[in-house]
Amino acid sequence: MSATPLLDIAGLTASVDEKTILQGIDLAVGAGETHVLMGPNGAGKSTMGHVIMGDPVYTVNEGTITFDGADITDLSPDKRSRAGLFLSFQAPVEIPGVPLSSFLRATVAGRPGLEMKGKEFRRRVKELAAELDMDTAYLNRELGVGFSGGEKKKVEMLQLLLLQPKLAILDETDSGLDVDALGVVSRGMDAYRKSTDGSLVIITHNTRILEHLDVDRVHVMVGGRIVREDDASLIPWIDANGFDSFEREAAAQLAAEREAKPAVAVDPVRAASMNLGAGMVQSLRATLDANGAACGSASTGTAQ
Amino acid sequence: MKMPGMTIRHASAMPAPTWSWLKMNDVAIRIPDDLERNCQVEIEAGDALDNTTSFEGSVAALQERIDAERQGGQADGRAMITAATGADRGAEELDIPALSTYEHRAVLSEVSCDIASDFETGVGVDMRAYLNFLAGGTAVLAAEEGEKAAATVRVTTHEGEASGASFDIVAAPRSTFSVVLSLDSAADGPAFMGSTMRVFAGADSRVDITVYLTASDAVTCVEDSGFVLDEGARVNVRHVVLGGAFTATGLAADLRGDRSRIDVDTSYLAAGEQQRDFNYIIRHRGRKTVSNMDANGVLTGTSRKCLRGTIDLIHGAKGAQGNERETVLLASKGVDNKTVPNILCDEDDVAGNHGATIGHVRPEQLFYAACRGLSQKQAEALFLSAKLEDAALQAPNDEVRANVVRLGNQIIPHFEEEIA
Repeated sequence: MSATPLLDIAGLTASVDEKTILQGIDLAVGAGETHVLMGPNGAGKSTMGHVIMGDPVYTVNEGTITFDGADITDLSPDKRSRAGLFLSFQAPVEIPGVPLSSFLRATVAGRPGLEMKGKEFRRRVKELAAELDMDTAYLNRELGVGFSGGEKKKVEMLQLLLLQPKLAILDETDSGLDVDALGVVSRGMDAYRKSTDGSLVIITHNTRILEHLDVDRVHVMVGGRIVREDDASLIPWIDANGFDSFEREAAAQLAAEREAKPAVAVDPVRAASMNLGAGMVQSLRATLDANGAACGSASTGTAQ
Repeated sequence: MKMPGMTIRHASAMPAPTWSWLKMNDVAIRIPDDLERNCQVEIEAGDALDNTTSFEGSVAALQERIDAERQGGQADGRAMITAATGADRGAEELDIPALSTYEHRAVLSEVSCDIASDFETGVGVDMRAYLNFLAGGTAVLAAEEGEKAAATVRVTTHEGEASGASFDIVAAPRSTFSVVLSLDSAADGPAFMGSTMRVFAGADSRVDITVYLTASDAVTCVEDSGFVLDEGARVNVRHVVLGGAFTATGLAADLRGDRSRIDVDTSYLAAGEQQRDFNYIIRHRGRKTVSNMDANGVLTGTSRKCLRGTIDLIHGAKGAQGNERETVLLASKGVDNKTVPNILCDEDDVAGNHGATIGHVRPEQLFYAACRGLSQKQAEALFLSAKLEDAALQAPNDEVRANVVRLGNQIIPHFEEEIA
């Protein structure tokens, strides 16, 4: 990796609805590198893709995301995209009323080097559609509406090739695809790497899609943390052994951390009111206040 | 001579009103002050421009046939008939129902079976009178029996002017008639334009009507129509409403003949402070008649829209089916959208369906667009440009397409280059 990574995530902690989903993530991806992010279901892999892209659903509590030398932690998703980041969705959304061709044209508008006039744009999109074995009739259909899972993923790859981002995060682009569609997606990734020498972060469960790629680093994620990093040799090992050992290690580490943490001061009212309604909580607080019990003065034992 | 402004109240009224506080029963149409009457209408119809055929004559012929068929039929002894026509409205008899004003009128219409007096247009009689005054006369476009005919009607207006068209379309039995109506204006200041149209679709005829409304942001525009369909007639209407400060589109159809059918496809767009008003009334009187109303629109800015769609399944329309659906995309939070689907039914053996999908752009859709580099504002513009692009692609001729492109260029920078 070069001295300054293209994407540098440092100490990233993110949450949704006050629930922490990502904890202390450190990840560096160099220009032109291919990284793979693996882990069991619910590990936080897709969340990480969305947080890197700036999904407003998530709150970044700590840490920074630096891309191409600039801190993008507080940047809006559209600006991150224009800066050269790309996220391929696991479940691409449908946008009724907007033909795919109109959407594609809007996405390249105003991008230096990518903006094209009408005929040139249509020619380019048709070329890419042919490369991905995609029926050009889809270009006139509403974005995603009535598309099969495979067609939706092809549209994602089409956008990847059209926008030529510096770094693309592919969130389970291979999931739910048959063998033929899987081949098309692999071809798309190859074409992207060849045409742009861009970086890839591939989130996947399926190591088959990695067979034709030169993977630089593999990251294993469990419980919102990256628990293991290694080179491509880790992929066949995971293929053979799964994620069980990582999950056990992560659970043990978490328990050790909790053990090491000092006891947390807890509001006695909150502690006592876990299963009470709002009215009863008020009543309990009033009783405690009347008895002179100071809130937060008591402490509980180790969290379970 | 400049005319004082005026307001036409209770236009585009629903046949059976709902709560008045909802402010959806009708609309008030304001004609701007100091407009000069200047009828700017072009009709291209070739041999179809006809002085020998009349809408009234065709209706009278149909009336004659229906009256002949009704003769000798059994008297209708339903309680509703007694309630509407009996002495003292049947108040003496205990099982005679009390009728609302609407029901009373409906039953009387049913009893008299008078096509001419039942005839109505969507926006209503006052606006029709005003448009007739602006037009100064009514042109008749007719297709003879078994013939194929086509016509194009162009209406425009300029700043400070009021322009209106009035024309009848008469399609003889087994004829095919395609009509394109373009209401277009690039006026920079207050102006008015409109069109009123009566259509008679003869037995087994086919009538296709495409209306494009591409007025600039300063124009008040009204498009009014009324249809009578004979047996087996098939009518397709496409309303594409893309521009205009205020627009009122009204359509009323009388599916008088058995197995007649009307399909109305509406596509609309409202941006900024524009207002759109639609009133559709389809009355099924013939047996096995079919109607479909499909509306699809995009609202942005602080625009307002009200769509009233009434399917009236009248007694005797056995086997009739009426469907109405609307899909509205609310691309910004400031829009005001009202939809009033209304199904009236006085017949057992019928089917009436309605449905509406009304949605704001969902956060996940906005995030997806943002991930492709589109800000919220750009995403909203995308919905507009997509609607305009679709209208341009489906324009019936180059002239209408150019009107759409002109309008598109005002809303979306470089629209013409993008769709070239």
